[in-house]
Amino acid sequence: MRTFRDRKGQFIIIAALFISIMIVSVSTIMYSTVTYFRHERWEEYLTIVDSIKSGSSKVMEVSLASYTQTNNSAVLMDNLNQWIRDVRKAYPGFGINLNYTLESGIRSAYGVSLNYSLGLARVWKQPVSYSAANVTFTINLASVGLTGYSFSTHMFLRTNIRDAVWHSGSGKQYVLIYLSVDKDGSEPVINLLKGNFAEVKLNGVPQSFLFKRYYSTTYSSFVYELRVNSVTSMPSSVEVSLADTKGINTVSTATSPIIRQDTG
Amino acid sequence: MKRTRKAKASMGQMRVIEAIMASLIVVAALSFLYVFAAAPSSQTYEPGELEKIGHNVLHDIDEQGLLTRYVYNSEWANITAALTVSVPNDVYFNLTIYDVNGNSIGHPLIQYGSSDVFAKSKIVASITYIISGYQTVYNPRILVLKLVRG
Repeated sequence: MRTFRDRKGQFIIIAALFISIMIVSVSTIMYSTVTYFRHERWEEYLTIVDSIKSGSSKVMEVSLASYTQTNNSAVLMDNLNQWIRDVRKAYPGFGINLNYTLESGIRSAYGVSLNYSLGLARVWKQPVSYSAANVTFTINLASVGLTGYSFSTHMFLRTNIRDAVWHSGSGKQYVLIYLSVDKDGSEPVINLLKGNFAEVKLNGVPQSFLFKRYYSTTYSSFVYELRVNSVTSMPSSVEVSLADTKGINTVSTATSPIIRQDTG
Repeated sequence: MKRTRKAKASMGQMRVIEAIMASLIVVAALSFLYVFAAAPSSQTYEPGELEKIGHNVLHDIDEQGLLTRYVYNSEWANITAALTVSVPNDVYFNLTIYDVNGNSIGHPLIQYGSSDVFAKSKIVASITYIISGYQTVYNPRILVLKLVRG
């Protein structure tokens, strides 16, 4: 009886030991579970994803500029294929797999429907002209099990000839062309200089012109005013060629009724 | 009878001692966990913070369209000035630019802070940033920005 009671005392210590072992084991598992995020290099992964997104957008920009200057419609696809290889080289060991889908057919971006081919679209020689690119990317980061992170990048430059007015009153005869330029939605492009307007043509003939830019209350928009002096008759067509600061071109053409006469 | 009482009293004391020992074991286990679960020192987070700073700085300069212009037009003084004003005062940087094959493009030293600061610092954050090209030309460059606190 005494021996049994003595053993009961030892049992308490053994039980306490077991409980302690259990506490330590469970707590260790819980600790490593809840602090898992601390040991992963999340910041690094996020910055890589961010850098790839930003770089992919720049590839589109470069390709769109090239397309509008050379009319090579495969340039975006070629550059993106090269970009995928270069991204892997730049971030070795992360298991980066970048894929892309070039939009084809009529697609809407920023409320504007354009007909894309190999991710590129160009609507020129219209009063409202567009140069656009539209690509959907998917990033997989095998090293952290990130798969299927997808984002779409739309890019466009829109040039809108608001008005072309031939002033034929007493004194000088001249044409004023009012033009607004937007990018990526309705974000106005306000940093263009005279040098960005490659050519202004009246009736297909290049003209020298004067340049002004300001916010117009008439059009409720930031506008570029191009003035062509010594125009003795009302032109039947006005054409403006533009290259923005990134080298993306558009060519806009307007005819009557956008071209009108002001005798005042 | 007297012997039995004495034996019982001795057994009672043993129970108390065992209970104390058991309590000590549990307390020791909890203390061990407390020490084990202590938050890591701030140094553990330091590279992450510097990486964030470095990435944000490069990203901001790139978004303004300046980074590509500086790199592709070899405006090294401008890129040094842009980084100097963008990083906090106590952060030193060293920027090296490579082509996609990992060869340095042979630019002058783009650095703020002496080389000693980088050699002696225990924590150096390294940020890799890739830019794809400029204007119509696809020609990627890999920027490696190293940051240390002074």
